[in-house]
Amino acid sequence: MPLKRIILEMGTGNDLYGEDYTKAAVRAVQDALHHSSLTLFRTLGLDRDQMQVEITVGVQKPELLDSDEIARQIPYGTVRVNASKGGMNIEDDENATVTVVATAAVAARYDLPDEPFTL
Amino acid sequence: MIACRDNWKSEPHVARKRLAIEMGMGTDLHGQDYTKASVRALKDALWHNSLSVATALGYSRDAMQVDVQIAVAHPEQVDKQAVADVLPYGTASVKVIDGGLDIPNDDGTNITVVANAAAIVYLDITESGEPS
Repeated sequence: MPLKRIILEMGTGNDLYGEDYTKAAVRAVQDALHHSSLTLFRTLGLDRDQMQVEITVGVQKPELLDSDEIARQIPYGTVRVNASKGGMNIEDDENATVTVVATAAVAARYDLPDEPFTL
Repeated sequence: MIACRDNWKSEPHVARKRLAIEMGMGTDLHGQDYTKASVRALKDALWHNSLSVATALGYSRDAMQVDVQIAVAHPEQVDKQAVADVLPYGTASVKVIDGGLDIPNDDGTNITVVANAAAIVYLDITESGEPS
Protein backbone atom coordinates (compact mmCIF):
# COMPACT_ATOMS: atom_id res chain seq x y z
CA MET A 1 0.00 0.00 0.00
CA PRO A 2 1.35 3.44 -0.88
CA LEU A 3 1.99 6.24 1.58
CA LYS A 4 -0.53 8.98 0.96
CA ARG A 5 -0.62 12.44 2.41
CA ILE A 6 -3.77 12.96 4.42
CA ILE A 7 -3.11 16.52 5.57
CA LEU A 8 -0.66 19.38 5.32
CA GLU A 9 -0.83 21.73 8.29
CA MET A 10 0.81 25.12 8.25
CA GLY A 11 1.68 27.59 10.96
CA THR A 12 3.91 30.40 12.04
CA GLY A 13 5.59 31.22 15.31
CA ASN A 14 8.00 33.80 16.56
CA ASP A 15 10.47 34.65 19.23
CA LEU A 16 10.14 38.38 19.75
CA TYR A 17 13.33 39.25 21.60
CA GLY A 18 15.30 36.13 22.43
CA GLU A 19 16.50 35.34 18.90
CA ASP A 20 15.76 31.71 19.72
CA TYR A 21 15.07 29.95 16.41
CA THR A 22 14.03 26.70 18.06
CA LYS A 23 11.49 28.47 20.26
CA ALA A 24 10.00 30.19 17.20
CA ALA A 25 9.97 26.87 15.31
CA VAL A 26 8.27 25.03 18.19
CA ARG A 27 5.59 27.73 18.29
CA ALA A 28 5.15 27.49 14.51
CA VAL A 29 4.69 23.71 14.75
CA GLN A 30 2.20 24.12 17.60
CA ASP A 31 0.30 26.73 15.57
CA ALA A 32 0.22 24.34 12.62
CA LEU A 33 -0.96 21.41 14.74
CA HIS A 34 -3.68 23.18 16.67
CA HIS A 35 -5.68 24.51 13.76
CA SER A 36 -6.96 21.02 13.07
CA SER A 37 -7.69 17.66 14.58
CA LEU A 38 -7.45 14.40 12.71
CA THR A 39 -10.40 12.42 13.97
CA LEU A 40 -10.26 9.75 11.30
CA PHE A 41 -7.93 7.50 13.29
CA ARG A 42 -10.66 7.02 15.85
CA THR A 43 -13.62 6.96 13.46
CA LEU A 44 -12.06 4.66 10.87
CA GLY A 45 -10.21 2.47 13.34
CA LEU A 46 -6.72 3.30 12.06
CA ASP A 47 -3.61 3.05 14.21
CA ARG A 48 -2.34 6.60 14.61
CA ASP A 49 1.14 5.40 15.51
CA GLN A 50 1.50 4.18 11.91
CA MET A 51 1.28 7.79 10.73
CA GLN A 52 4.43 9.27 9.24
CA VAL A 53 4.96 12.92 9.96
CA GLU A 54 7.31 15.18 8.10
CA ILE A 55 7.99 18.61 9.55
CA THR A 56 9.62 21.29 7.45
CA VAL A 57 10.67 24.44 9.27
CA GLY A 58 11.86 27.59 7.55
CA VAL A 59 13.95 30.08 9.51
CA GLN A 60 16.73 32.43 8.53
CA LYS A 61 19.35 30.40 10.43
CA PRO A 62 18.31 26.74 10.07
CA GLU A 63 21.66 25.54 11.44
CA LEU A 64 20.61 26.82 14.87
CA LEU A 65 17.49 24.62 15.08
CA ASP A 66 17.23 21.79 17.60
CA SER A 67 15.52 19.09 15.51
CA ASP A 68 14.89 16.78 18.47
CA GLU A 69 13.03 19.47 20.37
CA ILE A 70 10.92 20.18 17.27
CA ALA A 71 10.19 16.47 16.72
CA ARG A 72 8.99 16.15 20.34
CA GLN A 73 6.00 18.38 19.51
CA ILE A 74 4.35 15.58 17.54
CA PRO A 75 2.25 13.40 19.86
CA TYR A 76 2.28 10.17 17.80
CA GLY A 77 3.65 8.56 14.69
CA THR A 78 7.13 8.55 13.23
CA VAL A 79 8.63 12.01 12.82
CA ARG A 80 11.19 13.46 10.47
CA VAL A 81 12.35 17.08 10.67
CA ASN A 82 13.71 19.14 7.78
CA ALA A 83 15.26 22.52 8.45
CA SER A 84 15.50 24.95 5.58
CA LYS A 85 16.33 28.57 5.05
CA GLY A 86 13.14 30.57 5.09
CA GLY A 87 10.93 32.28 7.61
CA MET A 88 11.68 35.91 8.26
CA ASN A 89 13.76 38.08 10.52
CA ILE A 90 12.60 41.59 11.36
CA GLU A 91 15.49 43.79 12.33
CA ASP A 92 15.03 46.83 14.51
CA ASP A 93 18.17 48.93 14.05
CA GLU A 94 16.94 51.59 16.41
CA ASN A 95 16.62 49.20 19.34
CA ALA A 96 19.20 46.68 18.16
CA THR A 97 16.79 43.76 18.34
CA VAL A 98 15.88 40.99 15.94
CA THR A 99 12.49 39.33 15.89
CA VAL A 100 12.60 35.81 14.53
CA VAL A 101 9.66 34.39 12.57
CA ALA A 102 9.49 30.68 11.77
CA THR A 103 7.20 28.97 9.28
CA ALA A 104 6.29 25.33 9.75
CA ALA A 105 4.64 22.80 7.47
CA VAL A 106 3.58 19.48 8.96
CA ALA A 107 2.68 16.74 6.49
CA ALA A 108 1.00 13.59 7.76
CA ARG A 109 1.12 10.45 5.61
CA TYR A 110 -0.49 7.07 5.98
CA ASP A 111 -0.36 3.76 4.18
CA LEU A 112 -3.67 3.54 2.34
CA PRO A 113 -4.89 1.26 -0.44
CA ASP A 114 -5.13 2.55 -4.01
CA GLU A 115 -8.74 1.46 -4.25
CA PRO A 116 -11.38 3.38 -2.26
CA PHE A 117 -11.16 2.77 1.47
CA THR A 118 -14.00 0.67 2.86
CA LEU A 119 -14.97 -0.16 6.40
CA MET B 1 -24.07 3.83 12.04
CA ILE B 2 -25.19 2.70 8.60
CA ALA B 3 -27.14 5.14 6.42
CA CYS B 4 -30.66 3.93 5.71
CA ARG B 5 -30.90 2.54 2.19
CA ASP B 6 -33.14 0.11 0.37
CA ASN B 7 -31.52 -3.18 1.28
CA TRP B 8 -33.02 -5.13 -1.61
CA LYS B 9 -31.09 -3.01 -4.09
CA SER B 10 -27.45 -3.70 -4.64
CA GLU B 11 -26.45 -0.23 -3.41
CA PRO B 12 -23.45 -0.29 -1.11
CA HIS B 13 -23.97 0.65 2.51
CA VAL B 14 -22.27 3.81 3.66
CA ALA B 15 -21.48 5.23 7.05
CA ARG B 16 -20.98 8.94 7.68
CA LYS B 17 -17.60 9.30 9.33
CA ARG B 18 -16.00 12.34 10.91
CA LEU B 19 -12.53 12.71 9.44
CA ALA B 20 -11.16 16.01 10.65
CA ILE B 21 -11.88 19.29 12.40
CA GLU B 22 -10.35 22.58 11.33
CA MET B 23 -10.41 25.59 13.63
CA GLY B 24 -9.94 29.29 13.16
CA MET B 25 -10.60 32.81 14.38
CA GLY B 26 -11.60 35.96 12.56
CA THR B 27 -12.29 39.55 13.45
CA ASP B 28 -13.95 42.67 12.24
CA LEU B 29 -12.10 45.49 13.94
CA HIS B 30 -14.26 48.50 13.24
CA GLY B 31 -17.33 47.59 11.24
CA GLN B 32 -19.07 45.32 13.79
CA ASP B 33 -19.85 43.04 10.87
CA TYR B 34 -20.43 39.56 12.26
CA THR B 35 -20.60 37.99 8.82
CA LYS B 36 -17.23 39.42 7.84
CA ALA B 37 -15.66 38.15 11.08
CA SER B 38 -17.27 34.73 10.52
CA VAL B 39 -16.03 34.50 6.94
CA ARG B 40 -12.51 35.39 8.08
CA ALA B 41 -12.69 32.84 10.89
CA LEU B 42 -13.68 30.10 8.49
CA LYS B 43 -10.95 31.09 6.03
CA ASP B 44 -8.44 31.01 8.90
CA ALA B 45 -9.65 27.52 9.77
CA LEU B 46 -9.54 26.21 6.22
CA TRP B 47 -6.38 27.80 4.89
CA HIS B 48 -4.13 26.69 7.71
CA ASN B 49 -4.48 23.17 6.34
CA SER B 50 -4.52 21.37 3.06
CA LEU B 51 -6.85 18.46 3.60
CA SER B 52 -6.09 15.65 1.17
CA VAL B 53 -7.66 12.95 3.28
CA ALA B 54 -10.69 12.42 0.99
CA THR B 55 -8.57 11.76 -2.09
CA ALA B 56 -6.10 9.71 -0.01
CA LEU B 57 -9.00 7.46 0.96
CA GLY B 58 -10.02 7.15 -2.70
CA TYR B 59 -13.01 9.50 -2.66
CA SER B 60 -13.69 12.77 -4.46
CA ARG B 61 -13.02 15.92 -2.49
CA ASP B 62 -16.46 17.10 -3.53
CA ALA B 63 -17.87 14.21 -1.54
CA MET B 64 -16.81 15.93 1.67
CA GLN B 65 -19.70 17.08 3.83
CA VAL B 66 -18.64 20.04 5.93
CA ASP B 67 -20.49 21.10 9.04
CA VAL B 68 -19.48 24.68 9.73
CA GLN B 69 -19.95 25.92 13.26
CA ILE B 70 -19.62 29.65 13.88
CA ALA B 71 -19.71 31.31 17.28
CA VAL B 72 -20.28 35.07 17.60
CA ALA B 73 -21.95 37.36 20.14
CA HIS B 74 -24.86 38.10 17.77
CA PRO B 75 -25.58 34.90 15.84
CA GLU B 76 -28.74 36.31 14.24
CA GLN B 77 -26.66 38.86 12.29
CA VAL B 78 -24.57 36.27 10.43
CA ASP B 79 -25.36 35.62 6.77
CA LYS B 80 -25.05 31.83 6.64
CA GLN B 81 -24.95 31.71 2.85
CA ALA B 82 -21.95 34.06 2.77
CA VAL B 83 -20.21 31.75 5.23
CA ALA B 84 -21.08 28.63 3.20
CA ASP B 85 -19.75 30.30 0.04
CA VAL B 86 -16.24 30.27 1.54
CA LEU B 87 -15.94 26.51 0.98
CA PRO B 88 -14.10 25.73 -2.26
CA TYR B 89 -15.67 22.28 -2.65
CA GLY B 90 -17.87 19.81 -0.86
CA THR B 91 -21.25 20.58 0.65
CA ALA B 92 -21.76 22.91 3.58
CA SER B 93 -24.16 23.08 6.46
CA VAL B 94 -23.78 26.20 8.60
CA LYS B 95 -24.73 26.52 12.23
CA VAL B 96 -24.26 29.79 14.13
CA ILE B 97 -24.24 29.79 17.90
CA ASP B 98 -23.73 32.26 20.70
CA GLY B 99 -20.06 32.73 21.51
CA GLY B 100 -17.04 34.45 20.04
CA LEU B 101 -16.14 37.69 21.75
CA ASP B 102 -17.16 41.35 21.57
CA ILE B 103 -14.61 43.85 22.87
CA PRO B 104 -15.83 47.42 23.33
CA ASN B 105 -13.26 50.20 23.20
CA ASP B 106 -12.63 52.43 26.21
CA ASP B 107 -14.81 55.34 25.17
CA GLY B 108 -17.67 53.13 24.10
CA THR B 109 -17.68 54.23 20.46
CA ASN B 110 -16.67 50.97 18.84
CA ILE B 111 -16.94 47.23 19.30
CA THR B 112 -14.35 44.84 17.94
CA VAL B 113 -15.91 41.55 16.94
CA VAL B 114 -14.22 38.16 17.19
CA ALA B 115 -15.69 35.04 15.61
CA ASN B 116 -14.66 31.43 16.20
CA ALA B 117 -15.10 28.89 13.45
CA ALA B 118 -14.90 25.13 13.17
CA ALA B 119 -15.21 23.10 9.99
CA ILE B 120 -16.07 19.50 10.76
CA VAL B 121 -15.39 17.30 7.77
CA TYR B 122 -17.41 14.13 7.12
CA LEU B 123 -17.31 11.54 4.39
CA ASP B 124 -19.72 8.75 3.53
CA ILE B 125 -17.43 5.73 3.72
CA THR B 126 -18.54 2.68 1.80
CA GLU B 127 -19.03 -0.48 3.79
CA SER B 128 -18.25 -2.68 0.81
CA GLY B 129 -17.91 -2.31 -2.96
CA GLU B 130 -17.58 0.99 -4.84
CA PRO B 131 -18.13 4.38 -3.20
CA SER B 132 -21.58 5.79 -3.80
